[in-house]
Amino acid sequence: MRIERSLLSASVLVAFLVLATGSVQAQCRSFAKNKCVPQLAPYKFNESFNGAQLAPGEEAEVNLTFYSGQEYRVMVCVHQILGDVNWKLVDSNNKIVFESLADKPKTHFDLKATSTSQMKVVVWVPPTKGQSDMVHTGCVAIMVGFKE
Amino acid sequence: MMHMRTNRWPVAFALLVLLSACGGGTEQETLNVDEGQPNGVEQARLESTKKIFYSIPSPMETAALLKKAGATYNKNILNDVNNVDKYTSASKQALNLGVYGADLSYASVFNHTQESMFYTSCAKRLADRLGVSSAFNDSTLEAMEKSQNDRDALLDIISETYWEVDRYLKVNDRESTSALMIVGGWVEGLYIATQVAGAKSTPELRQRIAEQKISLGDLISLLATYDDSDPALQSAREDLNSLQALYADVKIGGGQPTSSTQADGIIVVGNDGETAALTDAQLNAIRERVAAIRNSYIN
Repeated sequence: MRIERSLLSASVLVAFLVLATGSVQAQCRSFAKNKCVPQLAPYKFNESFNGAQLAPGEEAEVNLTFYSGQEYRVMVCVHQILGDVNWKLVDSNNKIVFESLADKPKTHFDLKATSTSQMKVVVWVPPTKGQSDMVHTGCVAIMVGFKE
Repeated sequence: MMHMRTNRWPVAFALLVLLSACGGGTEQETLNVDEGQPNGVEQARLESTKKIFYSIPSPMETAALLKKAGATYNKNILNDVNNVDKYTSASKQALNLGVYGADLSYASVFNHTQESMFYTSCAKRLADRLGVSSAFNDSTLEAMEKSQNDRDALLDIISETYWEVDRYLKVNDRESTSALMIVGGWVEGLYIATQVAGAKSTPELRQRIAEQKISLGDLISLLATYDDSDPALQSAREDLNSLQALYADVKIGGGQPTSSTQADGIIVVGNDGETAALTDAQLNAIRERVAAIRNSYIN
């Protein structure tokens, strides 16, 4: 009887975690769709969702290809609970091409590619200042728009 | 506030015509797709990829690149709408949802609205069978029908639908289905590009086909993060690996990266390497291989 009850509790916990994970991802996507995609205008969203829940001290990165002759807008969209984050665009030699630091944040930049280039956007959330046991996680989305 | 009464019958009739235009019309039973709990491998994948993303060009972006490169529209190379009822397994449905999605993007970007509507109804049928009808429903078709004379609005609806289907699959732990849809769309995009280049081979088109070496690498990296035991994904991996072998000697520029900032703040990036290009032999080999893979998906 006790084993059955434990199994039931474990199943409920697993089901809750799965639902919670799906719900968090759904919220992150809704946030990106409603708050970030409109800011890409007049560029057309490339339909690629690069987003996740991050906590202070965590990092995310995405490899991007910019095709020759094309114009792009690159945007990092962050849920307000995280405050401002640091992010940068680096080339294939790891040279910083663009950087936005939390103390002087920018949400996006526009880019033209004269030849096809592979670059990387790296986002990192600064650690929280002060002593607090509360760890806030929030959605960070790296979005790209292109001109047709 | 002013309320307008609209007669919905013409729209309903148009939807009926569209649905009957796609496929032979024999309704099939919806397949039950396993929506079970993520297993250990999948859980590890979810954790390990939480902060690393692979950006695969969407069918719409690929079609727009092809158009800029001088590609022409050829409806004869697209998947026959009558094939839609042949896809009874969940993996074929997912692959062909991607295939029809790419055909839809190609037709829409080239402003062939009527064909766009047929491909939309095909994609919707497959989405229904995959249980994704909440992300792709009659109101989507209705909105497209109303926007068929406004290309930009139509492209926005298609973009939004692609996003919603992908979102639904990922949020509901059906990432393998989402991955197969992405593979189907990417393969169809390369198939269209190589077929168009076969008829009219411009240096720009060859360049774009050569550059798919990059997105192919990203797609293979993405699939490597999924469950090894899924036979459909395993088969897709083998298909992509066979293409990657043909791309091994394709040169895609390189050189030293360059960057500068214009007075208006726009960043200009590039490199001092040569432009990507394909030899005739490489183009033929890739064209034949991708056609064989694509035919195995649509038949």
